[in-house]
Amino acid sequence: MNELRDLARRLLGDGTVKAVVGYEEGPRGVRPVFVTRPEDADQLIFDPRAVQNLVTFLNPRRPHVKRLGKLAVVVKACDARAAAGLLRESQLRRDEVVLIGVRCGGVVQSPEGPATLNEETVAPRCGTCAQRVPTLADHVVGPELPAPPVQSSEDEMMARLDGRPHAERWDFWMAELERCVRCNACREVCPLCFCERCVQDKSEPQWIESSPHVRGNLAWHLTRALHLAGRCSTCGECTRACPAGIPLNLLNRQAARTVAARFGYVVGDDPGVAAPVGTFRQDDAEEFIR
Amino acid sequence: MSTTAPITKANLANLVARLVAGGARVVAPVRKTDGLRYREVTDGAEIVLEPRGLPDMSLKAVVFPPTEPLTSYERKGRDVALTAPPLIFQPTVVLGSRPCDAAGLEILDRVMNWDLRDELWFGRRRATTIVSLACAGPADRSCFCTAVGLAPDATRGSDALLVPVNGGFVLEAVTDAGEALVKGNHDLFGVPAQADAEVRQQARQAVAANLSLDPPAVQAWLSAHFEDPLWDPIALRCHGCGACASVCPTCHCFDVVDEPEDLAHGTRRRNWDTCQAAKFTLHASGHNPRADQNVRFRQRVMHKFEIYPERFGQVLCTGCGRCSRTCPGGQDLPEILAAIQARVGGAA
Repeated sequence: MNELRDLARRLLGDGTVKAVVGYEEGPRGVRPVFVTRPEDADQLIFDPRAVQNLVTFLNPRRPHVKRLGKLAVVVKACDARAAAGLLRESQLRRDEVVLIGVRCGGVVQSPEGPATLNEETVAPRCGTCAQRVPTLADHVVGPELPAPPVQSSEDEMMARLDGRPHAERWDFWMAELERCVRCNACREVCPLCFCERCVQDKSEPQWIESSPHVRGNLAWHLTRALHLAGRCSTCGECTRACPAGIPLNLLNRQAARTVAARFGYVVGDDPGVAAPVGTFRQDDAEEFIR
Repeated sequence: MSTTAPITKANLANLVARLVAGGARVVAPVRKTDGLRYREVTDGAEIVLEPRGLPDMSLKAVVFPPTEPLTSYERKGRDVALTAPPLIFQPTVVLGSRPCDAAGLEILDRVMNWDLRDELWFGRRRATTIVSLACAGPADRSCFCTAVGLAPDATRGSDALLVPVNGGFVLEAVTDAGEALVKGNHDLFGVPAQADAEVRQQARQAVAANLSLDPPAVQAWLSAHFEDPLWDPIALRCHGCGACASVCPTCHCFDVVDEPEDLAHGTRRRNWDTCQAAKFTLHASGHNPRADQNVRFRQRVMHKFEIYPERFGQVLCTGCGRCSRTCPGGQDLPEILAAIQARVGGAA
C-alpha cells in the first residue's frame, strides 16, 4: 500500500499527472477516488474489494474527467485489457495516461466486501484470469500474490445454458431481459462503450426501440453484445451495475467464445495486436457467404 | 382511522388467496435469484416479510410502469386515428410495501396533479391499496428516512401498516381503504391489540443515527449556491448511468417515444428516463445545457432538495438509500447531504 501511495505522491508532486484515479474506503466499501493533491495520496488503498474497472474513467465521453488533465489510473490486469482496447481503437494515446499496475490475486464480487477471497466470494471473472501482473502498466506495485481461488459460477452457468435446448435458452433470456428498465447503466459503466452517440439513442431512423419492453430490450442487449464482441475485456462491470440483476456478462462471454473459436482471438493487453473488428484478413472463414 | 387487528402469518397467506380469488393483483416482496423484488404473487407463502428487508427496486413500477402506451395510432389515408388505452386498472393490493416506498407515491401525487392531471397515474393509484410493513430499524447505514420527515413506521401513502409482533403482525388501518380491508376480512384477524410503542421508537432512533438533516436549511443553501465549489468535483466517480433513478421511489421523469409497428400502425409510449443521461437535455441543435456529469448530478440534488420543495413544499426523497446501494461508482447521497448540512451548520 505504501508503494502505491508513495508513487501517487511522487506523480502528483512532480507534476507528471494532475490526478490519480484509484480506490478509497467509502461509506459502502471500496470505491473510486480522484486524488489531486500529493498530501491526499494516503487515501489510496488496494485490496480484493477493488472490484471496479477504473479504465472506464478514461472513456472519452467524460469531459469533466478529461478537464482535470493528465491522469494516472490504478489498473489490475483485467482493467489493463480495457485500456489496451481504448489504445487499440485510438480512443487514448499512450502518453495521455500513466497506468499504475497493481499485482492482483483476484477480487471479490462486491466492493462492499468482505475482503476475504475464497471460492464463495471471488468474482466469477477471476476464475478464468491467469494474469497476475498488468504488463501494459508503466509502474507495477504491490506484493506478489497467488492465483485466486477458482470459482466458476459464470462458466458453470454458461455450461448449463449450453446444455439446454434452444427454446429453453430463449425462455431464460426472455425472463432475464424482461426486467431491464433501460437505465443504460451497462453502457455507461463500460470502458469500451465510447460512442459519442450510441446506436440506441438514434431516433431517425430508430434502429433499436428505446422502450423497456422485451422486444426493445432484446434488440439492445444483443446489439451491445455484438458491438463488444472481440473488444469486451469481460470486466463484468455491466453485470455489477445492473439494478435489475441481469447477468449481462454472460452475453459478452458467449460472444468472446465465438470470437475465439472463429478468429482465434482473445482480448489481451497488448494494444499492438489487432482485433478482428477493424481487421480485414483474406483468410477469414466466410463459409456463411454462399 | 384506528382499527388495529392482529393477523397470523398463516392468515396473511389466506388473505392473499382471498384477494387473488376476488380478482385482485397482489404485489409483495419475494426473494428470487436477482434479490428481493416486488412481484405479483398468487401464493401467500412466497411473500417475504423481513422487518429490515428492502427490495432492490422501489414500488413505483406498480403505479408507473417502466414503459406504457399513451396512445396507438393508425394512418388512414391522409388522416391519423388515435386510440388511447382504456383507463381501466386492475384492483391491486400491495402487501409488505416499505413505508418509504408508499410515501414516495404520495409525494409524487403532487407533480402528477400539477399542470396536467396524469390519469394513468391516478387511475392506478385509486386502484391500489397499500399495506406497508413497518421496519424494525435501518436496512443498513444508507437508510435515512427520518432525516427527510419520514420514519420506519411512517404511514404516509399507506392504507394500512403491518407492525410485527410475536407470531404475526398487527395491522393498523390508516385510510378508508385500509379500514375496508380489515373489516371485509374480519374473520382472518384476531382481537384488537397494540404494537409495542417502545420498539417502534427504538427503530426510529436507529435510523436517525445514520443521518440528521434540516431539509429547509438544505433547501435554502441550495437555493443560494447553484454555483459553488462543492459541485465542481461532485460527480467525478459518477458514471451518469441512471441506475439511481431506476431504483428511486421518487424519480419520475419520462421520455415519450413513437414506435411504428408497420407503415400504418404504431404506439406512442412513455418510458422511464433520467436526468443523469447526457441525452436528457440534449437540444436538437447539438447544444447541451447540462454538458457534463458534475452539472447533471447537481440537478439530481437540486430537484430533490430545492426545486420540488420550493414548488410543492415537500422533499423529493424518502431516504430509502437505494441510490447509494446501487451506485456502481460509490456516489453516496447521505454523504453529500451531510456535506451540505455541514455548510449550513447545525445537524448532520
